Amino acid sequence: MKRFDFVDVTLRDAHQCLWSTRMTTAMMTPILGEIDRAGYAYINILGGAVFDVCVRYLHENPWERVRLLCERLKTPCDALTRGQSLYTFELFPDDIVALNAQLLARLGVKVFTVYDALNDNRNLESSIKAGREAGMEINGWMTYTLSPVHTDAYYVERTKELLALGVDFLCVKDPTGLLTPERGATLFPAVVQAAGKIPVQLHSHCQSGLAPRVYEAAMKSGFRFGYTASEPLANGASLPATEEVNEIACRLGFETSMDREILKTIAGYFRWLCIREEKPCGQVAQYDAALYEHQIPGGMISNLRYQLETMKLAHRLPEILQEVARVRQDLGYPIVVSPFAQYMVTQATLNVVQGERYKTIPDEVRKYAMGYYGRLAARPSDEFLERAKIRPDDMVSERPGEHIEAWIPRLRAELGASAGDGDLLLAAFYDRTLLEPLKQAAPAYRFRTTPLHELVSWLGTRRDIEYAHIRFAGTEMTFSA
Amino acid sequence: MAERDLTYEDIVQIVDLIKSASHFSEFRLKVGDIEVSLRRADRTPSAPAAVQRSFEPAATADPARQAPSRAFSDAAHLVRSPMVGTFYGAPAPGEPPFVEVGQSVEPDSIVCIIEVMKLMNSIEAGTRGVVREILVSNGAGVEYGEVLMVIEPGKP
Repeated sequence: MKRFDFVDVTLRDAHQCLWSTRMTTAMMTPILGEIDRAGYAYINILGGAVFDVCVRYLHENPWERVRLLCERLKTPCDALTRGQSLYTFELFPDDIVALNAQLLARLGVKVFTVYDALNDNRNLESSIKAGREAGMEINGWMTYTLSPVHTDAYYVERTKELLALGVDFLCVKDPTGLLTPERGATLFPAVVQAAGKIPVQLHSHCQSGLAPRVYEAAMKSGFRFGYTASEPLANGASLPATEEVNEIACRLGFETSMDREILKTIAGYFRWLCIREEKPCGQVAQYDAALYEHQIPGGMISNLRYQLETMKLAHRLPEILQEVARVRQDLGYPIVVSPFAQYMVTQATLNVVQGERYKTIPDEVRKYAMGYYGRLAARPSDEFLERAKIRPDDMVSERPGEHIEAWIPRLRAELGASAGDGDLLLAAFYDRTLLEPLKQAAPAYRFRTTPLHELVSWLGTRRDIEYAHIRFAGTEMTFSA
Repeated sequence: MAERDLTYEDIVQIVDLIKSASHFSEFRLKVGDIEVSLRRADRTPSAPAAVQRSFEPAATADPARQAPSRAFSDAAHLVRSPMVGTFYGAPAPGEPPFVEVGQSVEPDSIVCIIEVMKLMNSIEAGTRGVVREILVSNGAGVEYGEVLMVIEPGKP
C-alpha cells in the first residue's frame, strides 16, 4: 500500500499567515504532547518570519524556542531558512550561514530545509554543505510561480540542480496558492520523474481555495509528503487542513499515520486559542481569478492599501496593481515573495505616482537587476535597463555569497571569547538594541492543559468577574474575589 | 448521562456566551450537564468594556522647512522628493553626508536617499551646480514633490 505522510506547519507557517506570526512559545507548549502523538512525519518549527518576530515583537530568544521544541518533540523537527539570507532579506557570508546550520543541528533540528526566493540554487550551496556536515537531512525547496518562463521544464531543471546538491527531500513550494489541479497534472509527474528516488513534498497555500484539490493531484502523481495545519489554523492564506487532506489520502487508498481523535483534540485547543487570544481562525477562501493576474498575496494587498492610505493614495490601488504586473515582466518575472514582492510593489507605486515609468528606481531594485541577489529567471526589459543605466559589464554572474567577506572573526573580536554561537549569530542579524529585551527570563511553560484548566485560567484573567460557579458532570467549583 | 470531561468545544461556547452577555452583572447558564454562574463586580457607570483605541496623531508638518529661505535665481534647480518617504542625507548613520551647502555637484552626483516603503532611493542632483540650501533634516518625513535642496549654477 502506498503511503502519504504529513508535515505539521501549525507552529510555523499557519500562524505566520493568519496571526502575523504572533504565536508565542507559551501558546505552543500545552499542546506539544498531542502534536507529537498525532502521527506527523515531521514538525516544522522555524522559518524566517518566526525567527524575526520572536526577536522584534515577542522578545523571545528564537534559539531557546528551537531548543525547547526539539527537546519536547520526539517527532523530528524541521527548520527552514532562506539560503544565503537565513532569516532576513540580507545576504550573509558563508561563515555565518555555516555557523547557523551547526547551531540548529546542535539544538536538535533533524531536517534542514532551504530555499532561495529566486530559485537560484547556488544560494543554497553553502547551507546544504554546512547542514549535511552538521548531520541534518537536507530538504530543498523550489518556489512555484506563474510566468512564461516558469515552465514545467524550468522546474525539472531546478529539480536536477537540487539533486546534484545532494538533497534528501525535494519540495514544491507555492507561497501564494497559485497552483491548480490542471497545472499539477503536468508539473507534478515531471518533477517526480526527475526526482527519481528522492521523496517529493508539496507546500501550498489556500488563497485560491484550490489547495486540497492540488494536494490530491500531488498524491496521485507520487508525492510522498504534504505540509498541512490543524484545521482552525488552516485555509485562507494558510495551508490546507491536516484533517481534510488526510481524508482525501485515505479515500484514494493511501496509508497514513494520522490519528483522528488526537487531531480533534489539537483542533479543539487551537480553536479555543483563537477565542482566548482574539485571533482569527482560517476561513476557506472563495476562488479568486484576479489572484492569477497580479499574484500579490492578500496580506500584502491589505498592507499596501494601508500604506497608500497614509500617503493619501488609496484610490490609486487598482492602477498600482496593474502596474505591478508590468513591472514584474520588465524585471524578468521575479517570484512574488519577499523581498521581491516589496520591490515590485514599491517600483509600481513610484511609476504610478510620478506619472513616468522608472523615473526613480530603488537601489535594491537595481541591485536585483544586476544579479547581486542571484540569477534572474529572465533578462530585464531594455526599457528598464536603459532607465536604470545598467550596462552589460555592470552585471554580476558569480554566486552572491562570493561577494561577502567573512564576518565571524570580526564578531568574535567584538563580542569576546565568552559569547556563544547563538549570541554571535543574533549580533550578526540584529542591532544590539533589539537584542536587549531577549535577556529577560522566559516564563514558566505549562506542558499540558485541559479545557477545564483553560476555562478557569480565562475566568481568572477577567477582572470584572467577582464570583464564578461551574458545575459539570461530577465536578463543582466556586471562585470568588 | 455518563460522566464526561469538559471539551474545548464546550468552553468555546461558554466563553462566547459570557462575552456576548458582558453588559449584565449576573450570568447563569445551564446546557446539558454543564452549569455556569457568574457575577460581575459593580461597574460605575455601566461603561462598555471595549478598550478605547488610541490612534497615532497624524504627523504634523515641520514649519521650519517647506520653503527655501530666500529667493533664488530662475536658473536654480530644485531637487524634489519622488514620493512620500524619509530623507537621509548620508549613506549610513555616522557617515559624512552626501553633500553639504556650498559643494559642487554633477548631474549624476547622489545628493541624498529617500526611503520609500522600506526601499532606498538614491536621488541624483539632476544638474551641474552648487548646493545652495538643504531644506530637510536627516530622518525627516517628506511629502511627494517636496523641495529637498536648491542647486544653482556657478562656482562655490
